[in-house]
Amino acid sequence: MIQFERFELANGLKVIFHKDMTTPMAVVNTLYDVGARDESENQTGFAHLFEHLMFGGSINIPEFDSPLQNAGGESNAFTSNDITNYYNLLPAQNIETALWLESDRMLSLAFSKKSLEVQRSVVIEEFKQNYLNQPYGDVWLELRPLAYQIHPYKWATIGKEIKHIEDATLDDVKAFFKKYYHPSNAILCIAGNFELAELKTMVQKWFGDIPKRKKPPRIIPAEPKQEALRIKRIERDVPADCFYYAFKMAERKSEGYYIADVLSDELSKEKSSKLYLQLKKELQLVTEINTYILGSIDEGLLVITGKIAPGKTLEELDAALWLVLDQYKTIPISEQELKRLKLKIRTSREFQEQGLLNRAMNLCFFELLGDANGINEEAQIYQAIEASHLLELAQSVLRKENCSLLQVKSIPSKKKSIPKVKSIQK
Amino acid sequence: MIDRKIAPAIRDVEEINFLTPKKVLIDNQLPFYSLENTGSDAVKLDLYFSAGTIVNNPLVANFTAGLLFSGSSTKSSEEIHNEIDDLGGFVDINVSHEYAILSLYSLNSQLLELLHVVLSALNDVTFPEEEVKELLKDRKQKLKVNLGKVNYLAQIELQKRLFKGTLYGKTIELNDFDTINRTLIQDFYDTYYRKGINKVSLIGNVNDDDTKAIHALLGPWYKKKISPKSMTFNPEKGVFHVEKAGALQSGIRVAKIMFDKHHADYHGFNVMNTIFGDYFGSRLMKNIREDKGYTYGIGSMLAEIYQNGYFAIMTQVGKKFVDPTLDEIKIEMDKMRNELVGEQELTMVRNYLMGQSLKAADGPFSMMDLFLQVEVADLDYSFYNRAIHVLKTITPQEIKALAQKYLIWDEMLVITAGQQLN
Repeated sequence: MIQFERFELANGLKVIFHKDMTTPMAVVNTLYDVGARDESENQTGFAHLFEHLMFGGSINIPEFDSPLQNAGGESNAFTSNDITNYYNLLPAQNIETALWLESDRMLSLAFSKKSLEVQRSVVIEEFKQNYLNQPYGDVWLELRPLAYQIHPYKWATIGKEIKHIEDATLDDVKAFFKKYYHPSNAILCIAGNFELAELKTMVQKWFGDIPKRKKPPRIIPAEPKQEALRIKRIERDVPADCFYYAFKMAERKSEGYYIADVLSDELSKEKSSKLYLQLKKELQLVTEINTYILGSIDEGLLVITGKIAPGKTLEELDAALWLVLDQYKTIPISEQELKRLKLKIRTSREFQEQGLLNRAMNLCFFELLGDANGINEEAQIYQAIEASHLLELAQSVLRKENCSLLQVKSIPSKKKSIPKVKSIQK
Repeated sequence: MIDRKIAPAIRDVEEINFLTPKKVLIDNQLPFYSLENTGSDAVKLDLYFSAGTIVNNPLVANFTAGLLFSGSSTKSSEEIHNEIDDLGGFVDINVSHEYAILSLYSLNSQLLELLHVVLSALNDVTFPEEEVKELLKDRKQKLKVNLGKVNYLAQIELQKRLFKGTLYGKTIELNDFDTINRTLIQDFYDTYYRKGINKVSLIGNVNDDDTKAIHALLGPWYKKKISPKSMTFNPEKGVFHVEKAGALQSGIRVAKIMFDKHHADYHGFNVMNTIFGDYFGSRLMKNIREDKGYTYGIGSMLAEIYQNGYFAIMTQVGKKFVDPTLDEIKIEMDKMRNELVGEQELTMVRNYLMGQSLKAADGPFSMMDLFLQVEVADLDYSFYNRAIHVLKTITPQEIKALAQKYLIWDEMLVITAGQQLN
């Protein structure tokens, strides 16, 4: 059970306080209710680029990280398709430094031209490093627009293309800030060994005078119901054929989300799953196979992915995979298997809850979903799942008409694949 | 109204509580370290084997580790994994240069049973031919994927040239897969894994009865730690390029053999290196990422190997930024060597590192790591007290002297991997 208190400032900032008396550290975590799904289609990658700019100085403070490091702390952030999350971890006695910094950049950024130019270049290098310059790096740039035709999940947080990042202007940055970065669009969580009264005073002191703005409405086009199997095959200079079967699944807040999560474990998270045993061990069609869910807030994806073994083909895998999936749709999971999956979920949770930062981030995320206490209710939801739920969900989700398939076909490069080494004169 | 231009007062980290794990010698010989984990059912049990990559054969060490649960005389791989999963447990093997650690993650109520399953599977691994073939096939494909990454190419080239002629310098090549067979793996297992535990650590709340039973299970597995042979290195110097046609970015490494925790300059070097390249506000990050935008990230580190260590700068940059990046690294080295660190920057690094130490000692999982990092080098917590003392008292002059002694461009091994500009 994760204990917490909740209060709201007059300007609309929601605050969660999680007391932990065992740690000398403190976490200040701020979630902004904006992600890549809020971008316009001809300006993708912007939420993430903006996240970088949040470290480029605020209205009263020229640099974000130096004062925090001076207080013994560190910070970082991430952007997803749904949210942007910033955290600071520092010795508890210096928590005001984090509140000062975090509140000042909520008040206003410095909007420095230099920061935009540098971070634009940094993000372009990030784009190359993670998406373009490694084997299979670009698969999500291909798979997203296959699985989503209208919903903004059809582009990745890094953006559709480098050009969108190159084109961003300082005016765009200012407009984005004004629309999304203010108290009523944020959730703050503070974790550490504090008293509620002193904490309220500190939060009021630093965040209380930030002007209130209206929470922006979110108008996202609903993805039309998928009616047919979609297949895309791309050719790349990669060592092995590779496949992604992406099935539409329920949104984050529905019960179906949790069932799909357990189903994904049942499918191939562990070496005792049918998918692993039949496709890898028995038929030796793959060298690796894995199933996971994306965890997105709107309608999400359950993904089965893997690499084809030498001498085998994507077609052989395809035929065999659908046969195995049919078993999941007709034979209910045994009580023993179900018990095993639930026990593994419990073990994982116990470890996840070890980290102060993890707890703070999750509290913010559940508050965004509607109630921070959701974090404590999840365990029960998982434990209540029955074999019949999994069977029904497999029947409704693991269908061809509900699937988008990306195949990466390996084509040998004309150049020599063994890298050459040479010594260079200094 | 508050004046937002004025930073809140900060308070120094004054005290860090280093908790010493409880130590028991099972059967008067096997060291068993434990720390409680208040308020949680999570338990982690680590078993240490002298089965690292430098004890004998790096490739065989890696493959053997991957096959420990591939089947025993009484159970198949599938049956073993079913049993582990039935207990809600997770098992993970990590092979370092010097040793291999088998980690069990579990709820406290399941740990005893999980350990029983793991040890019985480990007691007589039969290495079925099919399982060996499958693992080799999987690993070969993984290696091919890695060979498509410029960072990986730069890293293995560094390893080969920095540790030339030693087992540290042996990296896995595609044709190595033809030389590995079941017998080599079986022999390695017999020598280094079977009844081969030299140390155990436990984090979590386990009741007395279970603890006794765990001790009884582990007792017969004791084997004295096998220390690797001492090695001397003859690293290459100069600039080497690995050509990877079509790469958009290049991996860069700049490295030099350094020393381990016992060296007199160790703590001072750490402070100097933090300023230079080991945190977000470092000189390298400030210049090469935050001012020039050449890369998503750059850092330097002091890595440890048995009775030794090495310094390395690591980054991946756009191909047109390779030469400018190397130039800026040289400039930053020169600045460290020629100019005194300002008081403001030094204070920031002192405070930052104290915060990092506080974090590193927060909670039983971190604390056990801290403890074992010194235990493995035959040191104790006085090492950290000494580190804090140096951190608080080191002067700009001493930092400059350390940079002059160690940050010497002409002594560095430089690797670039990517597509060279014409």
